[in-house]
Amino acid sequence: MKNTFTEKPKTAKSRSSFSRAVSNAARAEPAAPFDWWLFTIMLTILAIGLVMVLSASGIVAEQVNGDKYYFFKRQLAFAALGGIALWAAALLPRHWLYRLQYPALFFALLLLLITLSPFAPAINGAKRWIPVGPISVQPMEFVKIALALYLAYFMSAKQDLIKTFSRGVIPPFAVTGLFCFLLLLQPDFGSAVVLAGILFFMCVAGGTRFVYLFFSLALACAGAMALAIASPYRLRRLLAFLDPFQDAHNTGYQLVQSLLAIGSGSFFGVGVGASKQKMFYLPEAHNDFIMAVLAEELGFVGVTVVMLLFALLFWRCYRIIMGQHNLRDRFTAFGLTTILVMGAVMNLAVVMGVAPPKGVPMPLMSYGGSNLLATMLCVGLLLNFSRTADPWTKSS
Amino acid sequence: MFKFSKRNRNRPNPAVKRDTSPRGSRILRARNGRNSRPGLAARFAGVDWARFRINVVVGIFCLLWAGLWGRAWYLQMIEGPRLADRAHRQHMASELVTGRRGMIYDRNGQVLARSVEARSVYVKPQEVEDFLVMANTLGPILGMEPQKLYDDLSKTSRRFVWLKRKVDDYTAQAVRKANLAGIGLSKEYDRVYPFKHMAGQLLGFVGLDDKGLEGIERALEARLGCIPTRQIVQRDAMGRRFYLHEEGQSEPRGQDLTLTIDVQMQFIAEEAVARAAREHDARWSGALVVDVPTGEILAWAQYPFFNPNTYRESSPLIYRNRLAADALEPGSTFKPFVMAAALQERKITTTTPINCERGKWETKNFIIRDTSNQGVLPANKVLRYSSNIGMAKIGLALGAPTFYKYLHALGFGERTSVPVAESRGILRMPRDWSEVDIMSTSFGQSISVTGLQMAQGYLTLLNKGVYKPLRLIREEGNVEEPRQRVFTEQTARQVMKMMRDVVEEKDGTGKRARIEGVEVAGKTGTAQKADHRAGTYGNKRLASFVGFLPADRPRYLVLVMVDEPSRNQFGGVVAAPVFREIAGRALIYSGILAERHVDESGKGALASGARRRGLKVSALETPYLAQVAHAPRRDSGMQLPGHLAKASDKVPDVQGKSVRNAVELFARAGVVPELKGSGSRVVRQSPPPGAAWPAQGQGAACILWLSER
Repeated sequence: MKNTFTEKPKTAKSRSSFSRAVSNAARAEPAAPFDWWLFTIMLTILAIGLVMVLSASGIVAEQVNGDKYYFFKRQLAFAALGGIALWAAALLPRHWLYRLQYPALFFALLLLLITLSPFAPAINGAKRWIPVGPISVQPMEFVKIALALYLAYFMSAKQDLIKTFSRGVIPPFAVTGLFCFLLLLQPDFGSAVVLAGILFFMCVAGGTRFVYLFFSLALACAGAMALAIASPYRLRRLLAFLDPFQDAHNTGYQLVQSLLAIGSGSFFGVGVGASKQKMFYLPEAHNDFIMAVLAEELGFVGVTVVMLLFALLFWRCYRIIMGQHNLRDRFTAFGLTTILVMGAVMNLAVVMGVAPPKGVPMPLMSYGGSNLLATMLCVGLLLNFSRTADPWTKSS
Repeated sequence: MFKFSKRNRNRPNPAVKRDTSPRGSRILRARNGRNSRPGLAARFAGVDWARFRINVVVGIFCLLWAGLWGRAWYLQMIEGPRLADRAHRQHMASELVTGRRGMIYDRNGQVLARSVEARSVYVKPQEVEDFLVMANTLGPILGMEPQKLYDDLSKTSRRFVWLKRKVDDYTAQAVRKANLAGIGLSKEYDRVYPFKHMAGQLLGFVGLDDKGLEGIERALEARLGCIPTRQIVQRDAMGRRFYLHEEGQSEPRGQDLTLTIDVQMQFIAEEAVARAAREHDARWSGALVVDVPTGEILAWAQYPFFNPNTYRESSPLIYRNRLAADALEPGSTFKPFVMAAALQERKITTTTPINCERGKWETKNFIIRDTSNQGVLPANKVLRYSSNIGMAKIGLALGAPTFYKYLHALGFGERTSVPVAESRGILRMPRDWSEVDIMSTSFGQSISVTGLQMAQGYLTLLNKGVYKPLRLIREEGNVEEPRQRVFTEQTARQVMKMMRDVVEEKDGTGKRARIEGVEVAGKTGTAQKADHRAGTYGNKRLASFVGFLPADRPRYLVLVMVDEPSRNQFGGVVAAPVFREIAGRALIYSGILAERHVDESGKGALASGARRRGLKVSALETPYLAQVAHAPRRDSGMQLPGHLAKASDKVPDVQGKSVRNAVELFARAGVVPELKGSGSRVVRQSPPPGAAWPAQGQGAACILWLSER
């Protein structure tokens, strides 16, 4: 299982010279302590996520795999692996990390191409996974990190050119566009939106002219319009979320089931493990729609607690971002945070029926090895950056 | 505490540092770049643009996050009840749950009818994957033609089709093993009558849908049947049900019923009426035995027998409960009521001389004949000779309204209290009676009564003239009916004495009903049967006998009817011996009469072994008659028919038998065997066949090993 991830260049290097990295980090970087609050909050959310995975997957796992702990055990193993990745990333010397932007980008590209090759299987008509032994890797999760690293590098290194169109705007858009194109081929519309979102917010933060951003938004809208006119069926599917009960047994099914689960929760929920919607009504209950199960079992109270925990997590990330002196540090931390926030926001939006359904997992909570590993990698890198962060002060 | 707080303590004045120390060079340069524009520089001099941009993004996400939180509030707190209700409707399915039908017991707890679980095979054509495979697999299992199965099912548009109802365990198992998509088994209940045809017409039967269609099963449907109840059950998305039985909530089932019928008495009566009917080649024969002190019906026999287990092979002619449903002109057995009424009304006394006109009496437009040619008789002898002329004169003395009053009080023209589907009989209103009607009614014509009504009438007479309802159901509580006195005790005694003379006096018509050792009373009846096509009386007869014993203090009332006997038609010849057999054996069974009295009487029908041997006993009708029909011995316990006989003292051989059968055999000996394995057939047993039963208390001593399948 492990060798899957050793292919990731960052972790590979950090592991091969772990002790040196530690001493390097200690010597070369300003040795502020890790942000333990960030780590604690992440662990809390992870623990809640594990319990919910067990609750949501138990019945399905027993039915399909004959072991009600099947998904729970696997998620536990992924979490352990993620812990290793997290600390490796946290201790990774900064200057190593800053040499990885292009190798990581190319590696991510390679992985994406492999998913589209005939070697990778199509699951439910989508080619998103690379099978490696008993597990499948979803390269998309690592593409996000690679793209964030690259964009951060670009925004900081080309800060002088950022206002120009041909050299400041075209390259990041082209790179992101390429990845989005490959993801759309899979097809994985949700992930493409996440990448576009990362680019957009990085551009906002990086200082791209608002005119260009406005035009890119307009272009995206025009593209969506064109797509809708070209195939009205797709549009109808896309907009089914606006009134899911219209077609509750077909296009709206998943969302209806999700809303029913959330609504059944009311204030205090039906109790952990007592969800009825998870009994095969709600597809992907332990996966993308785990928040619906949580909402049903723990009610509005549970949802509020989880959303507060995430808000705290993001606040710690914001502190880290704002504490960075170096522009690249700041953008990188910002990009990584954007990955987490985008994941959480889009997942909740889908689950609560305010965005079209796409496969976006909830960070740290949804079942899925690649997502958990990538998320913990992000948190690890953010911990890394917390060591160079200024103490928090209110900006004037 | 965490480290960052310590850091804060170590560096107490970060604000100073931020103001004085230079930022990252690129940040500064960016700021300078912006400051190069003079207009903006003036306005936004102090603004850190890089921070501002990031804060814009943070602001956007804060709004989104708050919006999502609001959405959660809306969905859970405002839309919550509506959505939860919708979800509830999806999770819960209401289902028709049919419970087990109540059992019917005899008075001693013998099971007359029980419901056993059975499986029915159904198909949901929409879910069948391959009709060809299904037809070829199921055809042989269910004994249906695969081609027909295929044709029927592949074309049907129905969503649910029963393939075969109530299959045996083997078939059910085979179907389950075949594991075909769209084929399912459902639990139903099959009605089983362990005593086969015993009391068949009385019990009636139950249709495929567990609804009583005849007899008690139908009449007491409300009590026995379990009204299918709608139950709310939880289900998952695949429609599988979760049955979560709450504490104290059991499966619904119908009420059990205990009849007053005594299996042993019933057996005696059935044997007797069967023999009589065969001997006289009668259309049908029936008998009722009533326990006089309680009014409980002990036997309700009718031949030809009807086996409710196989009701489909029978016809309404067979399963019609004639004793309750057939209203017939009773004939002479009706006379004691008229006599009692006249005595009660003091129209006559026992010694009043009545001219019987030497056997032929011509009235204005009517000629009455007697079988005997008597002259003037005292009233008490009119009954003994069963003189129609004498009775007609007594009836005329009564007058229609009084006559009607008594008949009505005795329950004629009304349904009895026995809960079976029965006829009211025909008792016309007195204003419609002509003189002829009064006369003919006096000897049991122009009135139609059922056997049950006759029994009810006699029960009132024997109960010292006080109405007492017949009872067929036990444990009906002690609802004492308002006691209505019809006759005085003296009148009742006088009539009972006359009836005793009918049997016990040398010149009585019912001599053949005599039983040595006990005084018997009774009345014969030979009713002419109306030929409706000819509009007059034909030459067919209903031979009947109503008797009770002991004559002075009656214990049993026995009513016998033999319809259309072919050779000898007289009630005294055809029906009286049947009474004698039933009553005699009833006395032995109840211990009133020692056995030898009956045995010594020799020639009677009861002990006529030779005749019985000459009789061809059809296995289908009476599978047990031959073995058990010997003189019943009270000390040998209940002689019960067939498989319900007392278990042998040796362990039976159950190898190869079905589990159900084997366990039943063991259970009869009071042993509950331990079952090993999960098959449906016994392959090995311990103790071995023929061994003695293990001592009491060694519960696990009996083990049955079951086959794998």
